[in-house]
Amino acid sequence: MNDLTPKERIFRSLKKQTVDRAPVICPGGMMNAAIVEVMNKTGHTLPEGHHDSKIMAALANDVHLNTGFENFGIPFCMTVEAEVLGSEINYGTLSCEPKIQREVFSSVTDVVYRESGAMEKNARVNAIIEATYALSKRYPDVPVFGSVTGPLSTSASLVDPIPFLKELRKNRDGAHRVIDYVSDQIIEYAKLMIENGASVITIADPTATGEILGPTMFGEYAVKYLNKIIDAIHETNTPVVVHICGKMNAVKKFVPQIKSDAISTDSSISLKKLKEEYGQLTTMGNLSTYLLEFGEAEKISILTEKLKNDGIDIISPACGLSTSTPLRNINAMTNRVKES
Amino acid sequence: MSINKEELYNKLAEAVLNMEEEETVALSKQVIAENLDAYEAIVNGLTVGMNQAGKLFDEEEYFVPELLICSDAMYAGLEILKPHIKTKDNAIKRKAVIGVIEGDTHDIGKNLVKIMLETGGFDVIDLGRDVAPATFVEKAKEEKAEFIVVSTLMTTTMEGMNEVIEILNEEDIRDDYKVLIGGGPISQGYADKIGADGYAENAAEAVKLANRLVAAYGNEI
Repeated sequence: MNDLTPKERIFRSLKKQTVDRAPVICPGGMMNAAIVEVMNKTGHTLPEGHHDSKIMAALANDVHLNTGFENFGIPFCMTVEAEVLGSEINYGTLSCEPKIQREVFSSVTDVVYRESGAMEKNARVNAIIEATYALSKRYPDVPVFGSVTGPLSTSASLVDPIPFLKELRKNRDGAHRVIDYVSDQIIEYAKLMIENGASVITIADPTATGEILGPTMFGEYAVKYLNKIIDAIHETNTPVVVHICGKMNAVKKFVPQIKSDAISTDSSISLKKLKEEYGQLTTMGNLSTYLLEFGEAEKISILTEKLKNDGIDIISPACGLSTSTPLRNINAMTNRVKES
Repeated sequence: MSINKEELYNKLAEAVLNMEEEETVALSKQVIAENLDAYEAIVNGLTVGMNQAGKLFDEEEYFVPELLICSDAMYAGLEILKPHIKTKDNAIKRKAVIGVIEGDTHDIGKNLVKIMLETGGFDVIDLGRDVAPATFVEKAKEEKAEFIVVSTLMTTTMEGMNEVIEILNEEDIRDDYKVLIGGGPISQGYADKIGADGYAENAAEAVKLANRLVAAYGNEI
């Protein structure tokens, strides 16, 4: 069992098969580990790496080699989906990730629907799938995690989030239509990554939290469309991880309804308790990113050990990493996971 | 038709709480038609309803969509009542500048805090999102604000909050302002670390915090 490749280990973990130890992963997208220290060391930098497939692939490999995370995680932002659907993107800097500069629509009723096929025509989508292809061919033992932005977050990046959130209540048909359309586009994008060698798809949907939506709308919108996307990805026999942000108090009961192969959560959640409550769950997480940025390596090591002892299936950061996180802190985490 | 004014104010509060914008507008017009005091109707009607909504938000009965729709109702009522306020009722309000720090365009949280601060009687100047640290300070000076309220959702932009405080220190005007911070990655620990005056976990807490600071420091700020 000690000679599992990183890809075998993650696949076995996601299928609940026996493994020598938990994998340690950083999925990319919202939760990427392209930290300034790595980029300054290797010279493969952002924001260029958001556009150029060669820089993107090289940076993903730099991150993998330097941090010790046992995967490639791309892209390094959560704006690609909204860009394709029409929103204006600010690509950020070396140390600041890209963001939505302006949501293109001010109401769900204004949305102009693009035909299917829009994803594969976008230059950045092409850079991402080229990087996916290159990495998966060159390093067949290391899984490529393709990270997509979830349906509610992408919709709220397309339609101004304030009216969008109101319309979830006031114009339910209109809201459903937009989120359904966005979900179809996300499925196309995920399938392009899978066709080009992505081993696992991760969905992070930070707008879909219990704190923002509350239980009724989380069930009505988030669970429905996450599952729509998961079902479509599962048809390609590819596993899916869903990351849920926030404290989850209001929405914990929905967790077993989400059909992903693993659930990743923020650091405020006890994954141990969540496992006790829902025995079938495969858990991923959840080392505090605040600790990773500001904490001492020794404390990081201790808390990583705790996650191991708690039987967390896949160990990963709990949220988006700050780009100023010190490499030695990440190494304290990944080394501890790999030590017997 | 004459009506008991307390009853009307209660109905106004209920309309805001129940997210009924049209009803709020109709009741606000009735306040004017009945020659009742617009200021009283705001304080005892609209504000009461919005505060109740904030309380339900705090208790996780209401969530962001509900709070936003309540605030739409409140603002629609305010628009009708405000022009009828007698000037003597325009007490000097505590002023705050609010914005999302540079590098971040997530402004749901900032908008909620703004709504609740306005409900709490603060005069709020909204600087929008992606705001440079220096702009917070400039605008606070320009507007003679007492509070600088800074929000971010992104760990990568948190450092901008520290910069706001550093600029205030460099210009030797730190004591002139109370700096409140909040947002997803922010904690009391971070507020203490950078020397902010306060951290609030959510919009309802932000108003309580601002009021506590007013009570504690009174006219010193």
